[in-house]
Amino acid sequence: MSNSAASEGLSSCHLCYKLAPKSEHKCPRCGAAMHLRKTDSIQRTLALLITAFVLYIPANVLPIMITDQLGASEPSTIIGGVLLLIKLGSVPIALVIFIASVAVPLSKMFSMLYLCWCASQDVPISVRQKTVLYRITEFVGKWSMVDVFVVAILVALVNLGGLVVIKPGIAALAFAGVVIVSMIAAESFDPRVMWDNLEESLEEKND
Amino acid sequence: MSVSNLVACPSCDLLADVSSLKHSEKANCARCGHFLTKYMQDGTLRVVSYAISALVFLILANCYPFLSFKASGFESEMTLAKTALEFYRYGMLDLALMVGTFIILLPAFVVLLLLSVSLSIHNQKPSAWLTPASRLIFLLQGWCMVEVFLIGVIVSLVKIAAMATVVMGISFWAYAAFTVVFTLALSSFDRFQTWKKIELLMEGS
Repeated sequence: MSNSAASEGLSSCHLCYKLAPKSEHKCPRCGAAMHLRKTDSIQRTLALLITAFVLYIPANVLPIMITDQLGASEPSTIIGGVLLLIKLGSVPIALVIFIASVAVPLSKMFSMLYLCWCASQDVPISVRQKTVLYRITEFVGKWSMVDVFVVAILVALVNLGGLVVIKPGIAALAFAGVVIVSMIAAESFDPRVMWDNLEESLEEKND
Repeated sequence: MSVSNLVACPSCDLLADVSSLKHSEKANCARCGHFLTKYMQDGTLRVVSYAISALVFLILANCYPFLSFKASGFESEMTLAKTALEFYRYGMLDLALMVGTFIILLPAFVVLLLLSVSLSIHNQKPSAWLTPASRLIFLLQGWCMVEVFLIGVIVSLVKIAAMATVVMGISFWAYAAFTVVFTLALSSFDRFQTWKKIELLMEGS
């Protein structure tokens, strides 16, 4: 039965995986700052999550794209775009956009919130599943940027003088903010805290 | 058991001995399943070759039209740089910088770093910038959104396919190829194995 690095008095460099005694503050191999666990992981993650939730409001309320067609200007929000596609009969595309820009970012933020709650419990259960949930959340992070890129591409591509022009809306910036802040939130979280709690509670049981 | 053969799982901190891996074998954490490392005999050479092809494709992707769009006799053409620059034209400098950084500047920087680091490991030439350059690669790789952008292109194509005819340019295909080799280069640049090689190289100097 092998042990965790912490129980052997070792901390692991997050950048180069070098193992060094707990007392080291700088990685002897790559020079990165070394911590046994990420500093204040739950508090930092929560603070960033709150920021992401706040930014999510303007990202959905304000227009993400403005279509100027034959002189008529039509702003559209994320949800508005999805509803329009359903009305036009393109349900599969509407579904793709709904999943990428509404379902994924929201479930990502809620699962980080849930993980923060789990990490603050003294007696954690099914830690392995929660670690997998964290890894999925972390992996999915940058994929929400798809929406911002779609706006960038449409704005750059659709520019036919007086006929039809697509302009970016301010919600694109707010949405990019949501994605970046929630990526940093996921990075600040430390799943090892849950394993530490598990090990501690098992030790208490054995005593 | 030497400490240098051990790796602590980044997800659950369990120690694992990864010294006995054979060619193209990979190790996952026994407790939580997290991927730890993959040993490749020719790992460094793979990074060199993928990085060179990535560089070529990225240069091509920036030299030709990306997509062109035709509707009712009008035509507009788009280049890769324009995706970022158009935001600036509408007064959104912040978004222009973000998009430009995530899809062109950062990937280009990471490819150059990958190439120089893997070349100096391959040629066994230690130098002072080797450690900070490798650190930068691992720090920045998560912020390269090459593959995300490619999916964005496909989603946009679907969105406007009904509106007009869209033609994919040389640049589009070059960027798609860049995405593939760039991803391969990063996955061949294994964290544990690369740092072990760098450590050996720097100790010898």
